[in-house]
Amino acid sequence: MSSLAAESLTVKRERATLIDGVSLSLGPSGSVAVIGPNGAGKSTLLRTLAGVDTPTSGCVRLDGQDLAGLASAERAQSIGFLPQTFEPHWDLSVADLLELGAARATALPADAVAKAKRTFELLGLEARRWSTLSGGERARVLLATVLVVDPPVLIADEPSAALDIRHRLETIRTLAARGSERLSVVVVHDLDLAFRFFERVVLLVAGKVVADAPAHDLIHDPCLDEAFGVRFERLKLDGRWLLRADS
Amino acid sequence: MRVWLGLVLALLLGLAVAACAGALWASPADIWRALSGDPSMASRLLVEWRLPRVLAAALVGALLGLGGTIYQGVFRNPLAEPYLLGSAGGAAVGATVALLVPLALPQSLLLPVLAFAGAWGATMLVLGIARVAGAVDAAGLLLAGVAVAAILGALRSFLMLALSDETVSLQVVMSWVLGGIQTPSWRGIALLAAIALGCLGLSLLFARRLDLLGLGETMATAFGLDTRRVVAEAVLAGSVIVAAAVAFGGLVAFVGLAAPHIARWLVGPLHKPLLPASALVGAIVVTLADAIARAALPPAEIPLGLVTAIAGGPFFILLLARRLRT
Repeated sequence: MSSLAAESLTVKRERATLIDGVSLSLGPSGSVAVIGPNGAGKSTLLRTLAGVDTPTSGCVRLDGQDLAGLASAERAQSIGFLPQTFEPHWDLSVADLLELGAARATALPADAVAKAKRTFELLGLEARRWSTLSGGERARVLLATVLVVDPPVLIADEPSAALDIRHRLETIRTLAARGSERLSVVVVHDLDLAFRFFERVVLLVAGKVVADAPAHDLIHDPCLDEAFGVRFERLKLDGRWLLRADS
Repeated sequence: MRVWLGLVLALLLGLAVAACAGALWASPADIWRALSGDPSMASRLLVEWRLPRVLAAALVGALLGLGGTIYQGVFRNPLAEPYLLGSAGGAAVGATVALLVPLALPQSLLLPVLAFAGAWGATMLVLGIARVAGAVDAAGLLLAGVAVAAILGALRSFLMLALSDETVSLQVVMSWVLGGIQTPSWRGIALLAAIALGCLGLSLLFARRLDLLGLGETMATAFGLDTRRVVAEAVLAGSVIVAAAVAFGGLVAFVGLAAPHIARWLVGPLHKPLLPASALVGAIVVTLADAIARAALPPAEIPLGLVTAIAGGPFFILLLARRLRT
């Protein structure tokens, strides 16, 4: 179990401020959805939290230790990062990718790779090359590659955006479920999925955290309407609140 | 396992064919007689001239295969070649100086040293340019490399024109620029073999990091790789290997491009098997190309670089076309 904290995180690129003084305290367990309109800085925030990008000022702390001062191998073992898009330059096989993912860990249980294959239904797919996989298979392979070392922190940048509804539901459910024992921070585009599966929702607008609250509270907050520039109708269906957007 | 056995058998077969091939063809029985210590002139010529040359060709090919694999791994581009980064061009300038400028040291020492200095200098120049331009990614390096290679090519031509007079023949430089395996002594072969083994070891140190680099900048970083540092270090290792190949074999085009490709079809893209497989494929290709260079137009010898360019050019175009189509 690990906790992750952002302290006055600011990221500037070419004079544009992408992340503007964000402070967040995350974990050690829980599922957190990050939502916000296009260009809010969600991807940048997640990449910085994962240590893939370095902040212009402020810092990210993993269990109190500044990521910038942490050995990159240690960071790679503790924080799993699922990028928005993934296209390997070589046509690796499923087994190759799992091997590269597993190599991050200094010590791994002997059955870790086999377990990842079972969990993500990759048995029989080991020899298949990346270029021959379907979108759903690719998503499962990527999840397995990142999660084979079972990192205490998972940071996922909307990996399900290109998937059909069934695979999308499966992926989001898997990511959110990790929050029961570990920390799972996920950019989610579909607001209903965010409010339905995640405990906590962080609303990001123009690089700033506008709201950070339990999902069942935030769904009623009028700041949602303002952030997305629409009028939401809150509908109650089978005891669950749903959002319907109107311009 | 079957692939490795096949590669080794193909190399042995290639070596045997190359040992027979030449302006004067020898039969396998002649080779056997020569190897078992026959004192005749024909046998001694085979042992002292042809066999070292054949082995040198194989070893230079192995170096080209290794160098090409590292460069493709660094640039994450199957069309990358040592020649694109200016390192071969730099080595060529160094070697041209060694061949044309009368310096106090023996040429056999000067040529590899200056070739390495040239390759390393050119590579550092390319890295420096890319860094100043703020683009130390694959595309930035590749473009800087193309520009530096062009400048170095012009510099080499200028040196050839300016430094040649009646006492030094341009023929020597030309035959070297066009690529040609030097015939070393058996001690030279031992040295070259040691260098090739050392280069294999050096490149294998990068195997896992090149694999990670192939996942793309983001995933590589997320998996704990310092991509900038790995790129810089791997380019340096690549230029050591290219300099060694260039010092012993001149400028041999396209082997560094083709060998990793063929090897990738055979053993897949992970670098731990890919590097030795590329070395074997490179060795087979250059052994056969050198045999053709020696035997195709007797008694003349075609420069090796021309043979590989004529065979490798269409290969490159084919790859490019396939890549553009997909």
